[in-house]
Amino acid sequence: MSTASLHSEHHTHDHHDHHHKESFISKYVFSMDHKMISKQFLITGIIMGILGMTMSMLFRLQLAWPDEQFGILQTLLGKWAVDGKLDPNFYMGLVTIHGTIMVFYVLTAGLSGTFSNLLIPLQVGARDMASPFMNMLSYWFFFMSSVVLTISVFIETGPASGGWTVYPPLSALEKAMPGSGLGMTLWLVAIALFIVSSLLGGINYISTVLNMRTKGMSMNRMPLTIWAFFFTAVLGLLSFPVLLGAALFLIFDRSFGTSFYLSDIYLEGVGALENIGGSPILYQHLFWFLGHPEVYIILMPALGITSEVISTNARKPIFGYTAMIISLMGISFLSFIVWGHHMFITGMNPFLGSVFMILTLIIAVPSAVKVFNYLTTLWRGNLRFNPAMLFSIGLVSFFISGGLTGIYLGNAALDIQLHDSYFVVAHFHLVMGSAAIFGMFAGIYHWFPKMYGRMLNQNLGYFHFWLTFIAAYLVFFPMHFMGLAGVPRRYYMFTLVKDFEIWGDTNKLITVAALVGGFAQLLFLYNFFYSMFRGKKATQNPWGSNTLEWSTPVEHLHGNWPGEIPTVYRGPYEYSRPDREEDFFPQYVPDESAPEVLEPVKTKSAPQTEEVKETEESTVFFAAIKKVFGLS
Amino acid sequence: MMISSPKVISNLLFKRILTIIVAVVAPMYALAQSAAGDVIEPPKEFDPTSWDWVSILIWVLIALIVLVIARAFDIGGLAESVTGKKIASANRINAWVGIIVVVLGLAGVFWEISEHGKYLLLWDAASEHGSTIDSMFMWTFGITFVVFLITEFLLFYFMFRYQYNENRKAHYYFHNNKLEMIWTIVPAIVLTFLVLRGFDTWTKITYRGSADHEDYKKDQEIEVFAYQFGWKARYAGNDNKFGEANFNFISGSNPLGVAVGDQVDSLVVRLNAQIAELETKVKTVKDSAQLWQSQLDKLNASGLAQVYTTQAKALREKLDDIHSGAYEGQIEKDLRRKQTNLKRIAAYRAMPAVFNNAGNDDKVTTEIVLIKNKAYRFKFRARDVIHSAYAPEFRLQMNCVPGMSTVFPFIPSKTTAEARKTKGNPEFDYYLYCNKICGAAHYNMKIKITVVENETEYNTWLASQAPLVAPAVVEAPAVPATTDSTAKPAMAIR
Amino acid sequence: MVTVAQKKIKDKAPLVAPAKLNIWLFMLASSMLFSALVSAFIVHQPDAKAKATWTMFNLPTYFLFSLIISTLSSITMYLAFKNAKNDELIKNRLYLVVTLALGLLFCVSQYLGWNELVAMKLTFVNPRPEDISASYVWMITAVHVVHVLGGIILLAVGIFKSFKLEIHKKQLTFMSVTHTYWHFVGLLWFILYLFLYFAR
Repeated sequence: MSTASLHSEHHTHDHHDHHHKESFISKYVFSMDHKMISKQFLITGIIMGILGMTMSMLFRLQLAWPDEQFGILQTLLGKWAVDGKLDPNFYMGLVTIHGTIMVFYVLTAGLSGTFSNLLIPLQVGARDMASPFMNMLSYWFFFMSSVVLTISVFIETGPASGGWTVYPPLSALEKAMPGSGLGMTLWLVAIALFIVSSLLGGINYISTVLNMRTKGMSMNRMPLTIWAFFFTAVLGLLSFPVLLGAALFLIFDRSFGTSFYLSDIYLEGVGALENIGGSPILYQHLFWFLGHPEVYIILMPALGITSEVISTNARKPIFGYTAMIISLMGISFLSFIVWGHHMFITGMNPFLGSVFMILTLIIAVPSAVKVFNYLTTLWRGNLRFNPAMLFSIGLVSFFISGGLTGIYLGNAALDIQLHDSYFVVAHFHLVMGSAAIFGMFAGIYHWFPKMYGRMLNQNLGYFHFWLTFIAAYLVFFPMHFMGLAGVPRRYYMFTLVKDFEIWGDTNKLITVAALVGGFAQLLFLYNFFYSMFRGKKATQNPWGSNTLEWSTPVEHLHGNWPGEIPTVYRGPYEYSRPDREEDFFPQYVPDESAPEVLEPVKTKSAPQTEEVKETEESTVFFAAIKKVFGLS
Repeated sequence: MMISSPKVISNLLFKRILTIIVAVVAPMYALAQSAAGDVIEPPKEFDPTSWDWVSILIWVLIALIVLVIARAFDIGGLAESVTGKKIASANRINAWVGIIVVVLGLAGVFWEISEHGKYLLLWDAASEHGSTIDSMFMWTFGITFVVFLITEFLLFYFMFRYQYNENRKAHYYFHNNKLEMIWTIVPAIVLTFLVLRGFDTWTKITYRGSADHEDYKKDQEIEVFAYQFGWKARYAGNDNKFGEANFNFISGSNPLGVAVGDQVDSLVVRLNAQIAELETKVKTVKDSAQLWQSQLDKLNASGLAQVYTTQAKALREKLDDIHSGAYEGQIEKDLRRKQTNLKRIAAYRAMPAVFNNAGNDDKVTTEIVLIKNKAYRFKFRARDVIHSAYAPEFRLQMNCVPGMSTVFPFIPSKTTAEARKTKGNPEFDYYLYCNKICGAAHYNMKIKITVVENETEYNTWLASQAPLVAPAVVEAPAVPATTDSTAKPAMAIR
Repeated sequence: MVTVAQKKIKDKAPLVAPAKLNIWLFMLASSMLFSALVSAFIVHQPDAKAKATWTMFNLPTYFLFSLIISTLSSITMYLAFKNAKNDELIKNRLYLVVTLALGLLFCVSQYLGWNELVAMKLTFVNPRPEDISASYVWMITAVHVVHVLGGIILLAVGIFKSFKLEIHKKQLTFMSVTHTYWHFVGLLWFILYLFLYFAR
């Protein structure tokens, strides 16, 4: 196979030779360079994020002041907010598109698309992705998907409005609600494009990680970011096709008249439908088989980024590198067999429900290990609080708060009461929404110098962090209480139900906090776009980091390293080694005299024998991994 | 190999973004504009008085504030550097902010618990199984809240305690097997406890609803029927037997589709009439096209089309539909659907097991009345889309799925009067809400549940509800018992 | 301005040709798609049977022909690959063309099989609700044919490359990818046929 690779290498050379003639189009638009593609993902993700956030502001206004009239709404939305009052149908549309955008476009493509693309080649030591062309296609499918989804907001019948999970029959019957017409069709088209994009990307990420690592970069020397991106890509590769299957069935039910999901339906104004024999629950099974891994597809890159940022800025090795990988692996595996906990109250067999409950609660164990490892990494560190570090700490905080409420929701008995209440909203916005977006911010602040060769303004970053952090807690923490009081989610207003009127003030507080949070994002946007052009010039390794990406020159070049790709000599987290003068020891610095890992300073709780055993275990573990992948 | 400077790159990027924005946003804005009204109106003249100046001003103001703050920081930021001293000063501030935030935050948590805690449905479940859920909740809450406090506190304490000091080197400490074992095993044990307890609670609640449970026959069944956007309940009536029901029988006067001969027969008559109407429509497509065309021509010729824009537009759309075949296609679809409906009704009508008159005395109500301490089983049906029956006071929730019946067994343990007393709210009522997104009026889909003290109150109420077929009326003649072997097995009642 | 003297650089070669790994990953993903369709079928069946809305029917005979054709084409594909490895370019081209022809024949056979289904009044959009089983058969076979069409495109490109002398002993990546993928769609049909035969 070396012939083949020589051949492809030859191509790369060609590319370099032609670099002078690279046009604007091939450099900035249809670029095949992973760094440019990552920027494209990021900018598109940010634009979609602004859209998603704006939508949340609009429906928050409605929830806080259901009886007020907002001129701005009519200006923005036209017939959907006659006299400044939001239309209930459009409210549903906003909720749906907000969810879709945030889950898929911002936190899947925007987060993992950006940082997988940027970091995988840079941190494993590759000139580019395994298949740059596929990589480019991946972005452009994502772009088309974003455009289709955005257009769907502006059509006459409104966007898809059955919730981001688009359960049939609501989403399958055009007459059931306005959004289930053309809006839903566009939603399905957008998601189909998105699936293609994410499969193209995922194949590339896995292939690059397994296949293109530089000399010395064995799997157990990979940064945790790469491990996280790798597992994320595997999850995506295995679960997105299932969503495609679910979407295909739905498309055929909608447009061709099959009855995969439809049965026994009488629709007001239409009459009894012909379809019988379908199973609406089938869709939920297929959807959540993707949907649950999707949660981890969102979260794991953020966890990987946090591991890297916390270790770098604590000037301390990440605690329990192996345990971190094993817990990522455990989470990934478990995420495929717990989808039923989204369906406890669909009338599923109670026994099946208990099985799903047991499996679900097991996930708490690897998650707990991760949290404790983060805490121990901070313990006796030398913490530098740049914005990236703050956002990582924020992530850990959200991960704790949101993760703990997962223990309630994973419990089938408690889920009877809490399902689809505001408790759920609070839970997933903390653990998956806020935590993941904080991971994304941490990544942006940390790698902005790598992406644009300039530094972000730190002070603005601090303000951005504290405002967002406080606002996020103010928005989502009270929602737990609403949920525990039995307030259902996706309600257009609560004034029609006497019991819920007491939450009026809370709703106002939440909306104000949300507006403040949104305001903080404006600071970030200013900082981001301003620093892109005018920020302080970055040095090559501004954070004193160990990993390979900081060995590349500040100015980007196609192929990443001007000379040979550096060889890797040790793990990525050798910070503050007692045998080194400096408090970091980059992976690429050769030093034959220094052992790869220093035995830690003896502490009472760590007798020597344990250490030996641990090394053995990890050796066995990695030997097994190598065997599985048949590598090095 | 040519490398552009970041400045060139960013300038070009900027251009690209601008182009994209113009290319994407402009047509969307146009689209939005056209979507803004049902009728495509001619562009209005520039009329600043119609603008919402206040909100525009507010937005401009917000933008200005952002700019000012951002600029202020930018000037401050010029002095910042990455060297040790500066890190230390910024660090101290952040660490202090962290401590303040965590102290205020935890105080806020306790305030919230004391303030909102009283509204929470945690201690006084109105059903028997509800208290087991509540105790499960309190166990989970106790454990997780302690973990929450400890970990969040440690996080911010470490942040404060180990802030940067250029004279210190971090502790080189990368793993400790024993520690890691501890915090794998301890959560695992705690979770095992929670899982076992949860398993027990869940099993006890749900198994009562399965047909092989000993109490299954004893429990009274009430059918709860969900539709866009409301609920109806059905009581079995004097014979204690529910009549068969099917979505094919649903009509305006028979909203639950119960197999009541008269109702279904009149539905058949109506369906036949509609089919005949549709058939004539198909035959007279050409005539209608001519008619509409002439109407439109008249409007156009007289210049009234400018005035009656809505009518003109409707006519144009109808004509377009006719020309594209969509009109006929729609009619044929309707026709086929109604014929299928009719065919299915006919097949059922021939089954004495379905039309067994058991449904005649069933009572369809718009309120649910229950007796305290009596065992009930709600059986859910949905008419159109998935709904979810959610009665938080009873700790009851179950999805209602079209084509699939679901059940939830429970025993109400507190009357409405008692609840009013404990809540100190004389107007309090139990409600069952919809908790699965189901359309525009999802937020207002509820039915009142009243729990009464004893059977007498219940019977008084039930007697006031009318049965589907008034007993005074002579019952519909028995169905001709034709042994219709052509009735497909597919038509079996589900 | 950074200039790179590329010629001096010798990077570590990837362990496997990227395209080969990518096709394996793609096959993994599409296996997941088929697992989804097949498990939907499996989950739906008892449910629908309980409601008496599941028709049992015999698979069209043409589907069996397709199975034979796909087996034959796998053999010719193997021969084409073997000949490419041995630099027997003429034979390689010949077998590629035969494989392509068999691939097209496979599609025709599937088409005839669908016609048979239609003749049995088991159309995709069911006029009778009890034919969800037929809808599944249509869906699964159609998605499979889409995969076969992908293989046919690969084959066509392969033939083109072969005529341009771009496939030989030292340049086998594309050939190997096509070879792997073609066996995959063949195997897929074998499994799906068995599944549909026994489970329908």
